[in-house]
Amino acid sequence: MTSPPFRYARATSVDNAIAKGICNGSAFIAGGTDLLQLWKAGVTAPAEVVDISRLPLSEIDCSNDTLTIGALARLSSVAAHRDVAMHHPLIADTILASASGQIRNMATVGGNLLQRTRCVYFRGQDVPCNKRQPGSGCGARDGVSRQAALFGTSAACVATNASDLAVVLIALDAEINIQGGAGARRVCLSELYRLPGDTPAQDTTLVAGDLITGVIVRNVARFAGRMTYLKVRDRASFEFAVVSVAAALHIENGVIVESRLVAGGIAPLPWRLTQSETMLLGKVPSDAVFVAAGDLAIQGAQPLSENGFKIELLRNSVFRALQTIGGAS
Amino acid sequence: MMVETPTTAKGSHADAVATASVVALAFSINGRHCAVETVATAMLLDVIRDQLGLTGTKKGCDLGACGACTVLADGRRVKSCLALAASYDGADITTIEGIGTPDRLHPLQAAFIRHDALQCGYCTPGQILSGIALLAEKPKDIAAIREGMSGNLCRCGAYPNIVAAIAEVAGL
Amino acid sequence: MSDRSVPRYEAALKVTGRAAYEGEVPAVGLLHAALVEVPIARGDVVAVDASEAERTSGFATMVSYADAEPLKPSPATALIRDRAVHFAGQPVALVVADTLSAARDAARAVRVTTQARPSVTHMAQALNTAYVPAMVGRFPSVSNRGDATAALADADRVVRHRYETAANIHHPLEPHAVVCWWEGDKAVVHTSTQAVFGTRAMIAHAFNMPPADIRVISRLLGGGFGCKGQLWWPWMFLAMLAAKKTGRPVRLELTRAQMFRLVGRRQETVQDLALGFSTNGCLTGIAHHVTAQSSTHAEYSDATAVYTRYLYACPNVTTSHLLVRTNEPQPVPMRAPGTAPGLFALESAMDEAAVRLGFDPVDLRVRNFADHDQEAGRPWSSNSLRDCYCIGAERFGWARRPAQGTAVDGRWRIGWGMASTMYPAIRQAAKVRVQLAADGAVLVQCGTQDMGSGTYTALGQITADALGVPVDRVTVELGDTVLPDGPFSGGSQVTASIFPAAAAATAKLRATIAAMAIADEASPLAGQRLDDLEFRDGSIRSRSGNVGEPWANVLARKGTEGLEAEGESGATQHPDLTATSMGYGAVFVEIGVNAGLGEIRVRRVCGAFAAGRILNPLLARSQYVGGLVGGIGMALHERTETDRATGRMLGETLADYLIPTHADMPEFDIALIEEDDPHLPGSVKGIGMLGTAGIQAAIANAVFHAVGKRVRSLPIRIEDVLGRR
Ligand SMILES: Cc1cc2nc3c(=O)[nH]c(=O)nc-3n(C[C@H](O)[C@H](O)[C@H](O)COP(=O)(O)OP(=O)(O)OC[C@H]3O[C@@H](n4cnc5c(N)ncnc54)[C@H](O)[C@@H]3O)c2cc1C
Ligand code: SF4
Ligand code: FES
Ligand code: FES
Repeated sequence: MTSPPFRYARATSVDNAIAKGICNGSAFIAGGTDLLQLWKAGVTAPAEVVDISRLPLSEIDCSNDTLTIGALARLSSVAAHRDVAMHHPLIADTILASASGQIRNMATVGGNLLQRTRCVYFRGQDVPCNKRQPGSGCGARDGVSRQAALFGTSAACVATNASDLAVVLIALDAEINIQGGAGARRVCLSELYRLPGDTPAQDTTLVAGDLITGVIVRNVARFAGRMTYLKVRDRASFEFAVVSVAAALHIENGVIVESRLVAGGIAPLPWRLTQSETMLLGKVPSDAVFVAAGDLAIQGAQPLSENGFKIELLRNSVFRALQTIGGAS
Repeated sequence: MMVETPTTAKGSHADAVATASVVALAFSINGRHCAVETVATAMLLDVIRDQLGLTGTKKGCDLGACGACTVLADGRRVKSCLALAASYDGADITTIEGIGTPDRLHPLQAAFIRHDALQCGYCTPGQILSGIALLAEKPKDIAAIREGMSGNLCRCGAYPNIVAAIAEVAGL
Repeated sequence: MSDRSVPRYEAALKVTGRAAYEGEVPAVGLLHAALVEVPIARGDVVAVDASEAERTSGFATMVSYADAEPLKPSPATALIRDRAVHFAGQPVALVVADTLSAARDAARAVRVTTQARPSVTHMAQALNTAYVPAMVGRFPSVSNRGDATAALADADRVVRHRYETAANIHHPLEPHAVVCWWEGDKAVVHTSTQAVFGTRAMIAHAFNMPPADIRVISRLLGGGFGCKGQLWWPWMFLAMLAAKKTGRPVRLELTRAQMFRLVGRRQETVQDLALGFSTNGCLTGIAHHVTAQSSTHAEYSDATAVYTRYLYACPNVTTSHLLVRTNEPQPVPMRAPGTAPGLFALESAMDEAAVRLGFDPVDLRVRNFADHDQEAGRPWSSNSLRDCYCIGAERFGWARRPAQGTAVDGRWRIGWGMASTMYPAIRQAAKVRVQLAADGAVLVQCGTQDMGSGTYTALGQITADALGVPVDRVTVELGDTVLPDGPFSGGSQVTASIFPAAAAATAKLRATIAAMAIADEASPLAGQRLDDLEFRDGSIRSRSGNVGEPWANVLARKGTEGLEAEGESGATQHPDLTATSMGYGAVFVEIGVNAGLGEIRVRRVCGAFAAGRILNPLLARSQYVGGLVGGIGMALHERTETDRATGRMLGETLADYLIPTHADMPEFDIALIEEDDPHLPGSVKGIGMLGTAGIQAAIANAVFHAVGKRVRSLPIRIEDVLGRR
């Protein structure tokens, strides 16, 4: 059942958006593809939506080795952008593996990073969920848990982050620009997300009125030709990841000098596989090394009744992703 | 209710829309200008179907997951069930009614008939609009058509014939 | 392409968005409806309070059990007359308002007080209450031929396993909808239903009114697959009650989430199956026992094990069905009811047996071919199953099947599998009216429906053929109770049912015209012999002499208003049958399993189907492919999730309940094997269900062939096949 009606306001400037966004009960709407799903399902009930889609924050610029993407750029525009396709094929490919052509034409980069979990309890009705209704309990933990996380969970919540793009952007050390009531700041994208702890209702470190204005990705040329996003899913297209892995290697003189491994579908936020990354350093790429990276990736995983298969899947996905990019180039 | 005027002015309310539960909007629909007043929570799909009476655009899931509601907004395919109408104020919208008529079919519509690319027909308008948008992206092979059309579900399973129809028009 | 492959009758309307579905019928003063649901899985409604809702803007009225009480008790009214809650998310009231959003706002403001009682939210919790239903469809629940227990005990080899299938949801893309109003005591009901006459009869019963005062219209359906039937009636009745109460037209359309709960599902099954063989590969005994879910407010069982009685030759066969009542939504038939889950078990077990016995799976099946219906002791009216095996295997290249576990394509491990499929060919009673205008235009009418299966096209073609005119001279009208009584759409029996009725009507017209021509001095056919006349190319002509004229001329000279005739045909009379009629098929698939990642993708499907005479090969292919696509969904994707603690269904969206997409499509090769069947009018069998069954086992068998894992539970997903890299 839909939530109660909201009022509509169109932001005329960034400052105007922030001023409106600070108000109690207001929510920004960009493409609307997640917010409106949640409103229709009765999960969120903003009193007012502030339409930010017309703010001039959709520029995509690739110069001086730095890619800057306005937060309101549509996913399809990013993927189709010449410089993105040329210099950041990983970003383009990841976007093209997300949602569908129509949704990518609507969805914005900022909205994608802030989309909420696909946990079926969260998006359901009449079932407990601490994220939707704090204190009601976590239905997934002892219930239908195939989607649930293996890492970073708490007693209160075991949900995963659903964004494909976030996994890849974190692998690329992306930063985001935020403007809010307290002025402008720039943070690592990885600092945007938070673990559920006792307060799973709060997904991010943003505060009321905070507007993401853009995403910055610095030079990744050293990874050129050795980046991949592996997305494992039940059907061939138009589905969120069951498990995903973004991997990038920088190999010099036959030795791995830098590595990035981030996994999706297994944690409340894009999950950096630091141990595996570290282990790879100084190694000569080989199947044995990649197997070891996979083995390290799953250490500490805490499965529930239905998601144990994701441990094996993660291990194999890490291996496969590394194997895909780690061969002789 | 629908008000038609001969002009095709764009963006009736280009500047600030005050906070409102009812919004006045103007679109160009299939080349005709029209103005509507609607609740702030209305989706583009609701306006098209319920207020403008253009029922060729279908509601299959109302949550972005089936593609039956696909329309073109400023030339790009979108799912109108997740498109807040107010956000599309001023947009140039094309629905299936603006594509062709039984006497003057669009080439893709004719190909759909030839290939029997439809059964119950409920997904068909969305498939055709999505297909037209995809054709503009120049898919390079059959696999690209399949992937590019995957946002449009067909429960009757007309998929292979739909792809054959699009491939024919694409010259593949 | 065959000249019988005429395009779909209503295609131009559908591709241009001009096709109007019943929920889109405009009505002046239309009110919009929203349902009020309760969260508890079992209990009673204590009170439904609309006082707050009444104050919301645009509110018109609310109807609930108090308003439904005067309806006559029946299964169709039970859910809305009683205060009992049978499953979580059950509606208990309906609110109507000026707009849909106002109706939803009002529905949210309705306060429902309930008294919850302990519930059973899964079959496993109540296995001790399992019982044998009287019938499974039109078959007895239990069967015994010979002594299966003894045969299995004595068999040289026994394959004995448990197979499971998940609950599936039909999900036609068009949600159920009704636009209805009252004209005095008469009701007009535009609704998406697979049975206009069945719906009219139920309204007449519930509202205690003459059927003649009710008009039900369903000219186009956006799919049905079995769910646009009886479970929709209670909610449709609520809309009719609201229309009566307000004196205004009311529109109710289910949300996609409601379609998960309110209009049926393919029932979940647990099947214990044992096959006994002699060492030479002959079946000696079969035991197939099914336990399946039904709700607490109605009873339904698929005929899941029934087809095990027929498919193979075997002297000793026992089958049974048990139902377990749970506080979950009620199952109804869904695409290939019974055969889809039942053949998954039987045809998986046959593959396991082939491996155990060292037989090729096709050879084992051919060896056990049933040359007559052993259950009833009757001949088949026709049975080309062996041709299906042979032609399917040939086209697929089965002879080149690699050894198990050896084929790879890059990272993908490749497997081939096959299975048989079958579905009974039956007919319902039907009437068809054909009218000829003086200008030669033809109108054919029948109160059956077209769910997308091609009924408009088929009826048009049958009529055009019989009258010797091109199909574009024929106008077809369906889906309205003002038309002659037609069959419900389901069970793949519509074409077979209307064919003899249309044949009868057109035969009468031909006879009348021929008689007129012979008696007409002005006709070149004057005085010709009746049995020498034929209808061809829009003309009536003599076969021997080279004379003839457009038959419209015969009518025109008479100055008649035109002619009209009705034809009628009866339902299959099962006890009187001299032969058993079924359609058959063999399906061959190639799948790939992404090694280490467990993704399963179907790459190639060849289906060889033998189901009588094919009226329109173009549409028949579409039907088979559509069925196979549904079968792929059941095999690899579709399952509902329920929170066992609350009984609430989860993931009630098409982003969570996965069905195949364009990208999941393999290459399809369909072989249409035509049969002459002297027992069936026009040799017409149904084809719709055949594609949907069989392929599940073919896929499971191919998965085994690829990775050596036997998966006996549907859907088969990543976790079922995942292995080390
Ligand atoms: C059927 C379906 C399938 C999908 N499949 C995938 C998939 O495979 N992979 C994937 O990654 N995603 C998938 N998505 C999710 C989709 O990508 C997101 O819905 C979309 O990216 C959200 O962007 P939006 O602009 O529409 O966000 P909105 O819905 O407008 O906003 C989402 C949230 O972000 C906030 N917000 C938006 N922009 C800003 C900003 N600039 N600053 C601060 N707050 C902001 C809003 O207030 C809201 O809370 C799918 C969606 C659907 C409907
Ligand atoms: S996992 Fe989190 S989102 Fe899901 S039910 Fe538990 S609390 Fe809610
Ligand atoms: S109705 Fe919009 S995507 Fe299904
Ligand atoms: S034709 Fe029926 S859903 Fe596609």
